[in-house]
Amino acid sequence: MYSQLFVEMESFQFTKTGQAACGDDIQIKVLKDENRYLAVLSDGLGSGVKAHVLANMTTTMALRYLQSNMDTLQSVETIMDSLPVCEVRKISYSTFSMIDLRLGGITRIVEMGNPQYIQLRGTEEVQPLKHETIVSKHWPDRQVECYELKMIPGDRLIVSSDGVTQSGLGEGPQYRFGWRRSGEMEYARARISSNPEISSFSLARSIAYQAYGISKNTCKDDISCMVIYMRKPRVMRLLTGPPFHKDHDIDFAKCANLGEEHTIVCGGTTANILERVIDRKVEIDISKLRRDDKLPPAGRLPGVAMVTEGILTLTRVCKALEDSEPTDSLPETARKIIEMMKQHDKIEFVVGTKVNEAHQDPSLPQDLELRRGIIRRISSALNQKFRKETEITFF
Amino acid sequence: MKKMQLEICCGTTCYMMGANRLLYIENEVPPELRGKFEVKALPCMGLCNDKNLSGAPYVKLNGIIIENATIEKICDKMRAMLDD
Repeated sequence: MYSQLFVEMESFQFTKTGQAACGDDIQIKVLKDENRYLAVLSDGLGSGVKAHVLANMTTTMALRYLQSNMDTLQSVETIMDSLPVCEVRKISYSTFSMIDLRLGGITRIVEMGNPQYIQLRGTEEVQPLKHETIVSKHWPDRQVECYELKMIPGDRLIVSSDGVTQSGLGEGPQYRFGWRRSGEMEYARARISSNPEISSFSLARSIAYQAYGISKNTCKDDISCMVIYMRKPRVMRLLTGPPFHKDHDIDFAKCANLGEEHTIVCGGTTANILERVIDRKVEIDISKLRRDDKLPPAGRLPGVAMVTEGILTLTRVCKALEDSEPTDSLPETARKIIEMMKQHDKIEFVVGTKVNEAHQDPSLPQDLELRRGIIRRISSALNQKFRKETEITFF
Repeated sequence: MKKMQLEICCGTTCYMMGANRLLYIENEVPPELRGKFEVKALPCMGLCNDKNLSGAPYVKLNGIIIENATIEKICDKMRAMLDD
């Protein structure tokens, strides 16, 4: 039951208004061979760069201790002993949540000072199998909450910093104590109810935006939300470039049969091949063109989500993925491709290898790398930065 | 009177060689040509590898290919068609 599952782990953050760096940090690591999915969310004392350093030290150490199965109390004490002491408050401090999810086994969560995690099965909250509170002798004022829970396919874990649960604090009678965990959970349940398949990224972003909105669009604290969703993998397919042999055009076009919401076609000649095979025409809407978009407009073709130009668009997608650029500032087509990739777990590239001689013209104002190279770079960025599975088939 | 059909190639080569500007032609033409044509973008016309043609960007005006297309060149062709 668990071998075909995908664990989608995504997060969304807002930095406290006026600060250059986020004082929360999130680190994720997948140990495929052990079927383990590790994540740590830490909130450093204060805000800005100093808080970020504390949070980053915490996530780095905690992730390593999780990976090496170190004793919980020893891990927590070592982290607290290692953090630098704040000159203002004379304490070393960060709060954190450590998650060790094992496919088919027990998931362990250790929390110190962070809001309690939320486990949802559909829209119903699931209680832990076991809960224990540990107090360190070194740090008697800190309580460590240890939970054991069972995750089954379809379950979600939501882990947030207090910037989420305390958002809106003091903003009228409704938020005398902030949004609180209960408000966050109700909101998540409503989002899942209206969209049962909502991705981890969309849900994390939605929760973070709601927290931001409750605070009247300012962040009085860093806002971080991470969502872990265990489910069947979502597969998308990106077709680009004409096949080397024209005889393979039909087989190539048949690869666009994964369903409208899961297929993208990148390339004018590629689109022409599909037009011929399915006997329909690409329609490009130029009414919403923006002069600063710098990429050709996208088109519609029945059976696929979007048809775009090829190499310029893919080069822009590649750069944005490699540099982790925020999607909001990207040209429309590149943004849509990246968002679609983020919504899926496995991305299959179907790549035609015929080289367009016209692209080799030295008078073209920009380097055009060979399609194969760009796709390999996109694939590598998706693997390494977004933990996506990828597969490349050449035609 | 039937409007002239202007098809603009949005393939990589054409787009980089100037089709990006041609897409805004409706805002750029002189008043006498406004409302006399319809613009349609195509994914690729496949003309950039044709050695008999002189270069991108390519557009088609009522099916007739215009090479190295510029807004001025297209306007001239439109006027010629209207005169005919």
